[in-house]
Amino acid sequence: MACTPPYVELHCHSAYSFLDGVSLPQELAQQACELGHSALALTDHNSVSGSMELAQAADDYGVRAIHGAELDLASGRHITLLVRDERGWRNLCRIITHAHAHTRDGSSRRERAEPSVDLQVVLDHAEGLVCLTGCAERSAIGGGVRDEPTARRLLDAFGQEGLRVELQRPYARHDRARNRALSAFARRLGVACVASGDVHAHARSRAELQDAFVALRNHATLDASEPLRRGNNSHVMATPQAMVSRFADHPEAVRETLLLAEQLTFDLNMDLGYRYPGAEDAGAGQRLAELCGMRLQERYAGSAERAEAQARLTQELNVIGKLGLAGFFLLHHDMLELSREVAVEVRGPDSVRALLAPGRGRGSSVSSLVCYLIGLSHIDPIANKLALGRFLHEDLRGLPDIDLDFPRDIREVLIPRVHERYGNDRAALVAAFPTFRARGAIRELGKVLGLPAAEIERLARGAERYGPAGAEHDMAQGVGSRSDGAGAREGAVPFAGATLALAPSGRWHWLERLVEEAHRLPRHLSQHSGGMIIATRPLIDCCPVVPAAMAGRQMVQWDKDSCADAGFLKIDLLGLGMLSAVERCVETIERTRSQRIDLSRIPFDDPQTFAAIREADTVGVFQIESRAQMQSLRRTRPENLDDLTVQVAIIRPGPIQGGAVNPYVERRRRLREDPGYEIPCEHPALRPVLEDTLGTIIFQDQVMEVAEAFCGFTPGEAEGLRRAMSRKRSQEMLERHRKRFIAGAMAHAGAGLETAQRVWQMVEGFAGFGFPKAHSAAFGLLAYQSTWLRVHYGPEFLCALLNEQPMGFYAPDSLVHEAEHRGIEILKLDVNASEVQCTVESRGVRLGLGYIKDVTGAEMRELVAEREQSGPFAGLGELAGRIGARRRTLEQLAWSGACDAIVGNNGRRAALWQLGMATPGVGAGEDTQLALPLDLPAAPRLRSLGRWQRLIADYATSGVTAGDHAMAILRKRLVVPMLATSAQLARLPSGGAVAMAGLVIARQRPGTAKGTMFLLFEDEFGTVNLIVPRAVYERYRHLARAEPLLLARGRVERAEGVINLIVRELAALEGFVSGGVEGEQRDAGARVHHLPAPERAPPADEDEAVEVGSSMRAVAPPIQSFAMGRRR
Amino acid sequence: MAAASSVLLNLPHPARVRMGEAGAPLQVDGRAIELVRESWLVEDRWWTAQPLRRRYWEVVSTSGRNLVVFHDLSAGDGELGGWFAQVA
Repeated sequence: MACTPPYVELHCHSAYSFLDGVSLPQELAQQACELGHSALALTDHNSVSGSMELAQAADDYGVRAIHGAELDLASGRHITLLVRDERGWRNLCRIITHAHAHTRDGSSRRERAEPSVDLQVVLDHAEGLVCLTGCAERSAIGGGVRDEPTARRLLDAFGQEGLRVELQRPYARHDRARNRALSAFARRLGVACVASGDVHAHARSRAELQDAFVALRNHATLDASEPLRRGNNSHVMATPQAMVSRFADHPEAVRETLLLAEQLTFDLNMDLGYRYPGAEDAGAGQRLAELCGMRLQERYAGSAERAEAQARLTQELNVIGKLGLAGFFLLHHDMLELSREVAVEVRGPDSVRALLAPGRGRGSSVSSLVCYLIGLSHIDPIANKLALGRFLHEDLRGLPDIDLDFPRDIREVLIPRVHERYGNDRAALVAAFPTFRARGAIRELGKVLGLPAAEIERLARGAERYGPAGAEHDMAQGVGSRSDGAGAREGAVPFAGATLALAPSGRWHWLERLVEEAHRLPRHLSQHSGGMIIATRPLIDCCPVVPAAMAGRQMVQWDKDSCADAGFLKIDLLGLGMLSAVERCVETIERTRSQRIDLSRIPFDDPQTFAAIREADTVGVFQIESRAQMQSLRRTRPENLDDLTVQVAIIRPGPIQGGAVNPYVERRRRLREDPGYEIPCEHPALRPVLEDTLGTIIFQDQVMEVAEAFCGFTPGEAEGLRRAMSRKRSQEMLERHRKRFIAGAMAHAGAGLETAQRVWQMVEGFAGFGFPKAHSAAFGLLAYQSTWLRVHYGPEFLCALLNEQPMGFYAPDSLVHEAEHRGIEILKLDVNASEVQCTVESRGVRLGLGYIKDVTGAEMRELVAEREQSGPFAGLGELAGRIGARRRTLEQLAWSGACDAIVGNNGRRAALWQLGMATPGVGAGEDTQLALPLDLPAAPRLRSLGRWQRLIADYATSGVTAGDHAMAILRKRLVVPMLATSAQLARLPSGGAVAMAGLVIARQRPGTAKGTMFLLFEDEFGTVNLIVPRAVYERYRHLARAEPLLLARGRVERAEGVINLIVRELAALEGFVSGGVEGEQRDAGARVHHLPAPERAPPADEDEAVEVGSSMRAVAPPIQSFAMGRRR
Repeated sequence: MAAASSVLLNLPHPARVRMGEAGAPLQVDGRAIELVRESWLVEDRWWTAQPLRRRYWEVVSTSGRNLVVFHDLSAGDGELGGWFAQVA
């Protein structure tokens, strides 16, 4: 017989206390269950971010979740608040909202002040809450309420029943004396004492990380933070019996935990009371039906599909009616109308952009006819044969997901407008919790351990992301504890080519362990990319709302999973760079060519566009531009929009891991060769479901369709399977689904066991990381539209891309080089011709002054305005005098070449010299006080910049170089003969050995590639794909990850129009340049069969060689380095 | 002078301790213990080559003397059982 445990833990921090807690709520719940606890309270610092996660996990483990928070008072003291009932939850949310209200009031909203709340706010919201007087005193953190006047005010507000004096026993000196004094204090107040454990870690294995976090939070090292730490491991969760022994002096305080826990009955899963606007509107169904009926008449007038559409509408409205979701759709419609108003405002009423819808749907909502009719999606689900499946079905629990993409500028205005429309207290963004990244964890924890900064940095730069082939292996390799037993186990650490003498159990090994423990822990509170929550009653009654980093925005303390579990209505208003780019592009076309383009009415079967797609001539377009996509395009050879829908979905982890890619490509090829080829299918029941994707699972919805058609799952069961696969994957749950799947397949479709198992493997391999078909259709369309613009309006499209950076797969420099290969002229920066942004001129695309680094946008805008008002700048003295720019700005202008037109080409050194003598104008309010336009003395005779130096100056000032390529300059100075270029590769025999030199423009090591790395190499003729097998990568990892200019040797592999270089050896190119790049060509005769050791070829001049060696790294803009990452 | 300097630096010195079942000292350097005033735990410096794991006891002898001793939990049961006295 189970007996009640003798203690309930009422004070526990999770990792959502950010750097003061090291366990996830789920880990705490599981451990509480294993240690025999019946209930557990979560009391994070000024936050309930982990509450919903605890509520869900606690249910799974049979532990009762109690909710609360540890509040910082403005006086510097802490109190612990626990929720008794629904009213208490509302009050807690309001108190926490107050505590955060002024955390972003500083001059920069990005800096967050520590939250705290006035005692009076707490007293005003005491109803439904129980107050504990707070934790044991610790010098740096401050302790609980200890003074009688404050305690008496608490007593007045919370009453005797609602106030307890909190006793803790952290095994520090003076514990017993303090607890004796606190007991006496409680007696004076006439309230009971209650024991608590102040848990910060679920298990002993995490205890050290908590110490490291304390140091990290205080910007100190472990060695220097001794007084701030707890000093022992008593903050690890203990069994109820151990807690009874810990409080042997105060058994009454232990008993009180049970009595109190009984009163704390609030259940977050049941008692939240959230409703979205329109949820209770009885007339909503009628209004939605009328709206859709009217739109259906317009859209399908005279269409052959009208009857089908009508039937589908009736079916959808039926489901919506049964689920009571009519108000939900009307709310979205309302939101879209709001976005139309915003769009007119942002774009201007006469803009050609007005032809485009303000936003478009993505995700599974695109499959709904209702969404199409009310304007939430632009894809006709009838014409595109999109099944409703995942989006809307009668077993739906919770609310369907609707994601809307907007151009960035419209979204910026729309979000604050939504706050205004629904009330600031009823609308908020969803939070996100970025977790520790391997590199960040190495840097932060390495510093805490007091390890040498340079070595930490080298290790961090070489580290992979957390994951299967990730940080653990990488760290182990980096610090030398390799599985082969070499390295640090013997006391020396081979590390990035160097050997560090370290003790085997030293700090590097602690770093390895701490980095591993920090995996998956949230690092801080951040904002979701665009999810918004809207409610009928103040949101702060459901969840605390805190200011976001951007002015005018606020967010709830829950992330998207917690919001979904709470049943919140979340609308995703996402910014999509490509939508902004295509809008910019049509605007530019109107300006340059006086053509008004409506992208919804362009021909969708344009042969030139599809020819470009099949040739993978797609750099810069949406989705199908990446290295992997381009390779795939040459093999799949898309011919229409349906093919593109598959194409955008196929390079995803789901289809790749599910083994769908190669069969799909192969079957497409056979179909091209023999139209009568019969597609193989595992079972006849699967044929209708998988026919369009040639018997493979490409789309997420196919997982559900297979489960329904093959195993007889209901839509709700199939959705459960999808969720089990895509969310936090639980092996047990997946195993239950597997059994049910196989049994269903045998019973429902009469499949054999082996067939059922093979189909399950396809489904399981897919693992949910794929696009729904509807989403792919929406993205495929945008991929087509952007390719169409690129094919027919190349300069305008390039210009739009350059102005919308950062976006897409390629850095601006690569986009520029690629455009030059297509014959688009790139015009250089020029103070007398460039605008702030890039512009299209009759000759080509002019780079904008905004590309120059270390200058402010305001300065460049002023320069352009001054030029437009008073004419071009005739000389450098005039330039300096007329614009109120800083000296640094003038230097950057000179060095970037923007003044070349004034001083003559190659005059950058002279320009820099002369500007050094000039007196800049001084900014005075909105105007500039002009400096005297004195003639500047002529510069002395300065050597003009060589090609290489000009290139380096371009990279240093703008990150973009036009008209030249590093490889074009270097090639004739390379002492490795028989080098192939990217242009020659297509003519070399497949399988042949080859050496190539190039600039690395993209590096990828996807989790699906089992340790293989892909490099995209660029030379003066184009790009080529390098495949670095795992073993080669391990040998040359630092070169592969960080070196911009490389020499690669390997063999050419050519199949189905795809050319790869399979790398065998890598070397830094700098070891093979003769005479310095500006020097004479020398020594080009020696034939090299094997890459020689990277010793430098004899330089013409030692100084010059040093200059080249150090400047070769400057060729790569930082964006191309792994360490910086490239955000997409 | 050596003793004085060790007092100044507060270096722990080995102590002979007889302990009871719960780990509490019953006798320190021959002096019987009357009561335990406090006990605390230090688990720290785990990242260094000399990690600390000590259970401290503040006790009063029958003669009324206040003593602080600790049991070094990381040391094995050596000749003296890993007990030290410290002025605290």
